[in-house]
Amino acid sequence: MDYKIKKINDYKWEIEKNEKYGMRVPGIIFADRQLLDHAVNEKTIDQVINVATLPGILKASYAMPDIHYGYGFPIGGVAAFDEDSGIISPGGVGFDISCGVRTLRTNLNIGDIKDRLQDIMSILSFNIPRGVGSKGKIRLSKNQLTQLLKEGVGWAVRNGYGWEEDKYFIEENGCMAGANTDYVSSLAMDRGMGQIGTLGSGNHFLEIQAVDEIYDTGAAESLGLEKDQITIMIHCGSRGFGHQVCSDYIRVMQQSAAKYGIKLPDRQLACAPLSSLEARKYYGAMACAANYAMGNRHCLAHWVREAFERFFGKSSEKLGIGLIYDVSHNIAKMEEHDVDGKLRKVCVHRKGATRSYPPGHKDIPDKYKSIGQPVIVPGDMGRYSYILLGTEKAMSESFGSTCHGAGRLMSRSKAKRNINGSELKKELFDKKGIVVMAGSMAGLAEEAPQAYKDVSKVVDVTHFAGISKKAVRLRPLGVLKG
Amino acid sequence: MNSKKVGKKYKYIDHLSDIGIEFYGKKLEELFENAAVGMFSIMCDLELVKPQEKRNIKISQKDPCCEDLLVLWLERLLYLYEVDDVLFSEFKVGGIHKKGRNLTLTAEISGEKIDLNKHEIKIAVKAPTYHMLEIKRDDRYCDWKGRIIFDV
Repeated sequence: MDYKIKKINDYKWEIEKNEKYGMRVPGIIFADRQLLDHAVNEKTIDQVINVATLPGILKASYAMPDIHYGYGFPIGGVAAFDEDSGIISPGGVGFDISCGVRTLRTNLNIGDIKDRLQDIMSILSFNIPRGVGSKGKIRLSKNQLTQLLKEGVGWAVRNGYGWEEDKYFIEENGCMAGANTDYVSSLAMDRGMGQIGTLGSGNHFLEIQAVDEIYDTGAAESLGLEKDQITIMIHCGSRGFGHQVCSDYIRVMQQSAAKYGIKLPDRQLACAPLSSLEARKYYGAMACAANYAMGNRHCLAHWVREAFERFFGKSSEKLGIGLIYDVSHNIAKMEEHDVDGKLRKVCVHRKGATRSYPPGHKDIPDKYKSIGQPVIVPGDMGRYSYILLGTEKAMSESFGSTCHGAGRLMSRSKAKRNINGSELKKELFDKKGIVVMAGSMAGLAEEAPQAYKDVSKVVDVTHFAGISKKAVRLRPLGVLKG
Repeated sequence: MNSKKVGKKYKYIDHLSDIGIEFYGKKLEELFENAAVGMFSIMCDLELVKPQEKRNIKISQKDPCCEDLLVLWLERLLYLYEVDDVLFSEFKVGGIHKKGRNLTLTAEISGEKIDLNKHEIKIAVKAPTYHMLEIKRDDRYCDWKGRIIFDV
């Protein structure tokens, strides 16, 4: 595709609206010159343009600085659709519905675990069902699964996984409204029963991290963090349940797109008008998958607490293992946003992007009302992860959204060709003291630090563009991969 | 006949975030079989998977094109892999038939219960996607060729 890129400022670029491709709105890319060049070279801009053609899209088709080539929507894409004239697209959410990240704090510091890292990682490795082919510790009946899908983390807490107070530190308080199990297929139910409380593979992980740098002392205090403190990060999603929900509805919406006369530049963008029955059904099933994902992370966090309790011989309350926050970065949500001076209900799709609500927003916990919503941004296993804060500018610039991670730089096959998993594991330990445990060395090679962009550059763009601001940098000490 | 393609079932194609394959077949049935071999090869070395457990599959869809049926076939295989804990390595598609508006595929598939001591699962395939999905007849060689991207 040929297109014109207009520089708005050093961190914001506009892809001019081009009727030739049926663009209804321009594209907006948050990036520095280098990240922009990468997106251009990888043809990711084509995917931004394709999203701009969908009916009812408002303001722009957005790309966060971690943008990279996906299928259908770009990864790092944000698009908001008008409630009346817009659409919802299962492909715009992705297969791993409500894939997300949570961070737990502890009152331990580096000195408490530095020499015992290998041991604690072994206990975690034993306690966390993570890989493919390994079933979880919990097998749900159909009725139990139905309850989980309706209640989200409420189900987990009722069944002894996690603390009641945790739910206030999860988007939607751990239960997405509108979940309707009538719209979930029996195939999805079958896949969901045995996988709750499992990490999965690919880019999913569990890390022990340490606070490496603080950019905002006041915010760090509100987050309960100080330098060298130990934190735990969990990245996973809705497992086979969510994958099946997405597959089921992409198929349904292949028909809907034709039925409602929606021209698709890519079949993976299949969608239906928000006012249609197909859209209502998908939203109901997607909310079930979001509840599954949040419940999944809750169970994993519970076993992290158990592992730490066993290792340190103290209760998790005494160890101060509280939830800082939990975000979903593959999701569509009905939200209220200011569009041309009017408050409107819109459906915001975040495909590899994180909600970034400002201080004072009604949907963030009281504890963080003065600092803004914590935005958790995982990086690669050898460098850093970040906790950012939501901003008012994100509301006006990107429908309250920011980046979700580092973004891939190298394809999986190239990473596998160039990197040896066992050597990488050794190198991370020898050079940085990072203990890595992985189910597959080939799988590990695909997730090597060099396969990803530098997350620090990505978060700097969001900071200078104003769509989130830096609070705390974390560095990995122990990494558990599926 | 292109000698390079004799016996070749599939090859990986580069995709930045995920994994794609191009797959081949003399007949449509063989094309579907080789797509399945390609998908399971992403997850595990199939040389290590014995064809012990058998399953019969019948899938049917109204008004589909071949591409739709292919996605449905691969989704069903992933479902069986996850629910039954079986890695599949051999696929015999008995036939792909059109009856009225329905396109039906029948197959017998074989594999082995997952044993993590024996089977290293490199990465799990989440789902087949419609992005860049294509099945076409390669008239030069009188055979079939397909392309699919998987979310991993």
